[in-house]
Amino acid sequence: MNGEDRTTPRPGASRDRRASRQRLLWRFRVLRLVRPTEVPDDGPAGDEAAVRRRLGPAFWVAVAWLLTMAFVAVFAPMLPLADPTEVAYSGPRESPSFDAWFGTDALGRDVFSRTVHGARISLAVGGFAIVFGMAVGGALGIVAGYFRGRLDQAVGFLFFVQLSFPALVLAILITATLERSLLVVSLTIGILAVAPVGLLARASTLVYAEREFVAAARVIGARHGRIIVRELLPNVVIPMGALTLLGMAIAVVAEGSLAFLGLSVAGDDAISWGKMIVDGAGLRDLQNATHVAMFPVAVMFLTVLSLNFAGDRIRQYFDVKELAF
Amino acid sequence: MARFVLRRVALLAAVLFAVTFLGFSAMNLLGDPLVNVVGVLAELDCEGIEAGLVEDTTVDAASRDCDTVAAAKAQYHLDQPVPLRYVLWVGDLATGDFGTSFQNDQPVSQVVREKLPETLILLVMAQIVSLGVAVPWGVIAAYRANRAFDRGSTVASFGLLSVPNFALGVVLLYLLALRWQVFPSAYESDNLGGLVYSMVLPALTLGLPLAASYQRLLRTDLITTLQEDFVHMARAKGLPPLRIMFRHALRPSMFSVVTVFGVSTGALIGGSLVVEQIFGIPGIGREIVTAVIRDDFPVVLAIVMLVACTFVVLNFLVDLFYGWLDPRVRAR
Repeated sequence: MNGEDRTTPRPGASRDRRASRQRLLWRFRVLRLVRPTEVPDDGPAGDEAAVRRRLGPAFWVAVAWLLTMAFVAVFAPMLPLADPTEVAYSGPRESPSFDAWFGTDALGRDVFSRTVHGARISLAVGGFAIVFGMAVGGALGIVAGYFRGRLDQAVGFLFFVQLSFPALVLAILITATLERSLLVVSLTIGILAVAPVGLLARASTLVYAEREFVAAARVIGARHGRIIVRELLPNVVIPMGALTLLGMAIAVVAEGSLAFLGLSVAGDDAISWGKMIVDGAGLRDLQNATHVAMFPVAVMFLTVLSLNFAGDRIRQYFDVKELAF
Repeated sequence: MARFVLRRVALLAAVLFAVTFLGFSAMNLLGDPLVNVVGVLAELDCEGIEAGLVEDTTVDAASRDCDTVAAAKAQYHLDQPVPLRYVLWVGDLATGDFGTSFQNDQPVSQVVREKLPETLILLVMAQIVSLGVAVPWGVIAAYRANRAFDRGSTVASFGLLSVPNFALGVVLLYLLALRWQVFPSAYESDNLGGLVYSMVLPALTLGLPLAASYQRLLRTDLITTLQEDFVHMARAKGLPPLRIMFRHALRPSMFSVVTVFGVSTGALIGGSLVVEQIFGIPGIGREIVTAVIRDDFPVVLAIVMLVACTFVVLNFLVDLFYGWLDPRVRAR
């Protein structure tokens, strides 16, 4: 056996890599109460040159779709559209036509206009939720990962408890007891993002807290606050930022699920894609007026797909490892 | 192994306590359960009436109402502070008393017992669908990695993971039940066969996205395993490829899938809320949504607790199973 002149990676190496990945996965999942004894040493600095890839044309298509959605969401009231809550003159369950591009729903409301207006709540909730999750989860994760010890254990336990609730059930528990305003729904879904984002922030903080530049800052007498803000934060923000769009995709779907169950933002003028889909999902509507449900389904799918695709590309671009969540 | 199990049991107990306590406090502090039980009567100033401070022209009726309020308070321990209420509630749970539904005075345990089988069947079928689809899919993709099928299946699984499950449910319902009429569109409970048959579409709705994520994990791990020495060895011995795949390579490649299995059950439970709504399945998920809309506090609480605790215990079992599968885990 002359293993030296092998060009393929040695099987042992791949097993080690898998073992270390399993270990990482394991640590994120469960052993939050055990103090980590070692820190993964593969900081992204070494292979940075190899990481810079092209984002590719499909990425820009996805971004263009997302920008279009964001644009129509912001300017929906100013666009020349039918009133999304008023009954259109053409009657209920009209097929798509030149007048009503996506047809009309069971109450004779313009589906195209409703789809455009629906982007407002879906994207607002998605955007707010992920920003909230990053602010709170990120802060908790960095502080826990930097100071370690009992604080880390306490925060880790909180994250673990949160993840013990299936996300949608936790969301229902919160929205069940409060009035369902835009703020409450956004906050609810934002809270769901805290633990996953926090785990990510903590994991990256652990990696960077052991690096020389942090030790150097400590040696020259920098205070904790300065080290966290000036040394750790800029590094931890990169993997977190790279996962923003992926998180937003999850948040948009979560809002859609709540809306589908009738537990998202209340009120007739609060239009959301999930609500539109459930409106068109009755057997009679599905049979005779398929467009009522299918247009919002299509738009929502394209939006979530774009978020996932663009998010995945950005994640690869910044070489952020996928986590267990 | 014993220490490992002990540590996990301690963690389990702590998490169960935290989950129930937080859920209970949230339900009690964020809303006023008294309002849900007795409605507007909750605003009655009973102490004032008793002390004669409040002039009420219908004192008799008022004091009768006050008796109702007092009875409700006593029944649901609402006259106690929240931490004590929690202790009493856990005590009730220990004796099998899950409380009584505000809406129809049915014991919650009975409501849950009636609805649970449907949801369990749905979840089990969804996992069967997802594993049944993911294992062959992942094996074929890994066997011919980076060929046409593999590339196509990467795109397909990416797309599948981007469909919100309520949207997938509506599309499947339209295509397979209304357009082509392969499966029934509504829930049937006449006999077991019909029940399972009518559950196929809901199980597909839940299982297909999960299959996509299992397939990705399995494919990645299989590709790694297929480069190991023992696989080269088996190939050199002249074993048929299929036998190598299923007897040698598959088992050591299942770790990630097993790990995700527990976590994914949480997503499945969340998904079942939506799917039961679409297909009209009278299960736990539909019950909790109805209960939330009607502010039926004991039912919501009981189901949330049941779900969260099941989820925690299931993950605990997966961890044990995982520790048994892979000795490296035990050491930590």
